[in-house]
Amino acid sequence: MSTAVAQAPHTTGARGSRALVLGLGLVAALLLLVLVLGLSIAVGAKPVPLADVWSAWRDPDGSYVSTVVASRVPRTQLGLLVGAALAVAGVVIQGLTRNPLGDPGLLGVNAGASASLVVTAAVLGGAAGRTVWAAVPGALLAAAAVYLIGSGGRRATPVRLVLAGAAVSAVLVALVEAITLADPEVFDTYRSWVVGSLAGRPPSTVGSVLPFVVVGLVVCLLLARPLNALALGDEAATSLGLRAGRTRLLGAAGATLLCAAAVAAVGPIAFVGLAVPHVVRSFTGSDHRWLLPYCLVLGPVLLLAADVVGRVVARPGELPVGAVTAFVGAPFLIMAVRRGRVGL
Amino acid sequence: MSAPAVLSLGPSVVVRWRGRPVVVCVAALVVMLVAMLVTLSAGRLGISLAELPGVVAGSGSRAQEWVLWTSRLPRLLVGAAAGAAFAVSGAVFQSVTRNPLGSPDVIGLGAGAAAGAAAAGLVWPGVVPVPVGALIGAGIAIGAVYLGSGAGFRAPLRMVVVGIAVGAMSLAFVQLALARATREDAQVLAAYLNGSLAARAWSDVLLVVAALVVLLPVALVLTRPMQLVEMGDEVAVAVGVRADRVRTWAVVVGVLLTAAAVTVSGPIAFVALTAPQIARRLTRSTGPGMVAAACCGAAVLVVADLVAQYAVPGVVYPVGVVTAALGGVYLAFLLVREWRRSPA
Repeated sequence: MSTAVAQAPHTTGARGSRALVLGLGLVAALLLLVLVLGLSIAVGAKPVPLADVWSAWRDPDGSYVSTVVASRVPRTQLGLLVGAALAVAGVVIQGLTRNPLGDPGLLGVNAGASASLVVTAAVLGGAAGRTVWAAVPGALLAAAAVYLIGSGGRRATPVRLVLAGAAVSAVLVALVEAITLADPEVFDTYRSWVVGSLAGRPPSTVGSVLPFVVVGLVVCLLLARPLNALALGDEAATSLGLRAGRTRLLGAAGATLLCAAAVAAVGPIAFVGLAVPHVVRSFTGSDHRWLLPYCLVLGPVLLLAADVVGRVVARPGELPVGAVTAFVGAPFLIMAVRRGRVGL
Repeated sequence: MSAPAVLSLGPSVVVRWRGRPVVVCVAALVVMLVAMLVTLSAGRLGISLAELPGVVAGSGSRAQEWVLWTSRLPRLLVGAAAGAAFAVSGAVFQSVTRNPLGSPDVIGLGAGAAAGAAAAGLVWPGVVPVPVGALIGAGIAIGAVYLGSGAGFRAPLRMVVVGIAVGAMSLAFVQLALARATREDAQVLAAYLNGSLAARAWSDVLLVVAALVVLLPVALVLTRPMQLVEMGDEVAVAVGVRADRVRTWAVVVGVLLTAAAVTVSGPIAFVALTAPQIARRLTRSTGPGMVAAACCGAAVLVVADLVAQYAVPGVVYPVGVVTAALGGVYLAFLLVREWRRSPA
């Protein structure tokens, strides 16, 4: 998975045609994303024909349909941002730690971010608890705690990190529940957010997390080559002229920013960062120059599709998107374990 | 370790016993009883110790009678019995997997039982009784963990990671059931997500006590063979114990106990992990001490419920929040210790 690719002596022609195939695949993935974006706006309590979505969005005419569409647009934008953020963060975490089980949800980062947001909201009031900055310290602290517990002063294996993540998450989730249950005001704000949901988020959310997601994505996408070098091991990477420490720092900063922004926007959502890179890797191999763009596109596809499914399966209610991604993504964890190479 | 004393009743009945486990059991039961009395007397509707004998004898006011017989006593008894059931199930599984991390709550069994209970109660009501649903759910979960790990019960760490995936999927299913349910049902069954002892009835007491009465003796009979199997299959076979059969029986007992406990209390986290370990430490025994584990489990859950109800004035938490916080810390401690001990 994350180990070095044994570069077979490709002819330039074979490499070129592979790039062509992967490039075309990326275009197909983009088309898929457009389709899912359309579905995300079309499907709901009041379905809109897919054909009408575009016109109703471009030229709002005050009709009922265009009002419905306008009300679903922020939710769809949110899904786009968060899906991309989580999938890219997942792939960067996996690359940095050479850990196929890297996922912000599994490694406690999401729980740390949510605990930090809820604590901020309880102390400083609800509005402060929606800013991305409030999520950053918790995300960092949780990641550090998981790493310390998982390594126990020695080398951290993927499985140990996941177990440490489960322990840290359990404590932090209990903290979140203790605070939200004790404070009715906070509880009201966080009821749907705690389980990870695109529904019912204030309209200003998109604007407030957008800059963070963009910065995080740019940082991570620029790291494609250094991450490839890092996959060869620190020593090999250094001999190739890579400053491994700087790559780690930048990658960790970018991934933390993405996780913090995603959690601040929609709550803790697990398994997107695990499942998407695993699927993508199966056809791109471990070259981050392809992995990262594919994850950027297919992350939102998974999250938005999960959100659409969540709206359909539980009518008249709605299943939070976090539950759907858990159901779809958890089997990838089992697959990764079965395939081995996770420190067992 | 002190040599076991021998209690002879006539020529044919000889019971070996050691003093320390008896002391531990008595101490745990005393702690539990004190916590029960404190719980009964706490709060605005509490019955003071001085009044308690009168209320028990039937000379209290109607309100006091209601508090004792309808409100608080069933909750206390369900807590004690469910705690004991979780603990014995934990002791059994920890013995089978030869690892404290192999507890039913860590490997997703509790969550699976909760999903089964939610399915039987909410999604397809009337098809099977809720306890049977919980049993089916727990059975599916353990089957998924067994098959998913690819190595059966021989690789506890793998089981745990696969269990995290199975648990996540199970809880996602519970959320689906809750989202589809009508509001009143969902209020009651929300307990299946976290574990709660609120609003328990005598029928719940009956169910879990009956499960204990039937299954605890089976667990006791299994204790010695399991102790031998823990030493390795070869040792067990050499002394005439069929390891596979013992394991199968042990898993059946563990699954039944977990299903019974989850039916009445939801998937309360980490009691099955911590209680048998506390018992092992206190009794300084090597094998799975079923009775000591049961006593410790009962004490842990009753004390945790007391804390959940009265630690923060004016807020009543589900007991699962308290056990998750404490158990998460303990899990982290276990992980660090385990890493230190085992090479790499």
